[in-house]
Amino acid sequence: MRIAISSHPSLLHILRGVVRWRVQEAGFSPSDAEGLAMAIDEAATNVIRHTYSNRPDAKLSLDIQTFPDRVEFALEDAGPKVRAEDIRPRPLDDLRPGGLGTYFINCFMDEAYYDENFAEGNRLRLLKYLPGKGSPNHEGPSQERR
Amino acid sequence: MKVQVRNADNLSIIDCSGDVDLYTSPRLREALLNELQSGVPSVLLNMSEVSYIDSSGIATLVEGLQLSRQTRTRFGLFGLRSNARSVLELARLHKVFNIFADEQEALEKIATVQPFGGL
Repeated sequence: MRIAISSHPSLLHILRGVVRWRVQEAGFSPSDAEGLAMAIDEAATNVIRHTYSNRPDAKLSLDIQTFPDRVEFALEDAGPKVRAEDIRPRPLDDLRPGGLGTYFINCFMDEAYYDENFAEGNRLRLLKYLPGKGSPNHEGPSQERR
Repeated sequence: MKVQVRNADNLSIIDCSGDVDLYTSPRLREALLNELQSGVPSVLLNMSEVSYIDSSGIATLVEGLQLSRQTRTRFGLFGLRSNARSVLELARLHKVFNIFADEQEALEKIATVQPFGGL
């Protein structure tokens, strides 16, 4: 399933609602669904704020694919290329506003990485295994692959 | 999201309801910072009707906490739902804020906390 919206922050709740519904259909608990919705919200917020510099009329799309053991998301934008090495969550003991979005994404997703083969803009791939169905090589939550 | 302010003697209560995200958090920020700069000794944020909060909302709360320290205002949260509490715990902020179970406990205890947040 694919959802395309403009980059207006008033539309973020639509992404959250669709993610909650779709991943529960795929077998995730309401609690897990809330975390996944938040991770997508945070990823889209990063695009709006940083990639699009709060421009409200740019393109943003979310692709959701479900499998027996996992759900995969692809969040695409048409902005300038993001350098993954520039994105780092702030240390949690550094008490200041902001800087937590990437941390929350890593908390709720098993994998998060930019698709280097995406030609125009950025495609952030996010993956979450159903509980107890992680891949043999998966070492647990919050693993980030770049 | 809705934000309403109730003023009483020596106290402001901000009632916030709905989702707090990138779109709505500026409204909460405006109300929170206004009250923390108003000279009232204590400010309480009622989160019992907050159904969702993301990092934008958390950033607003942290900004409020920092301002409360500058203005020496007692600042507390009450009525957090489990998802909002979980988000604060994930960010390891649940011990930084003064958090009360409900309005009654907040009203009973806010005057006894140090006006420097929970640190």
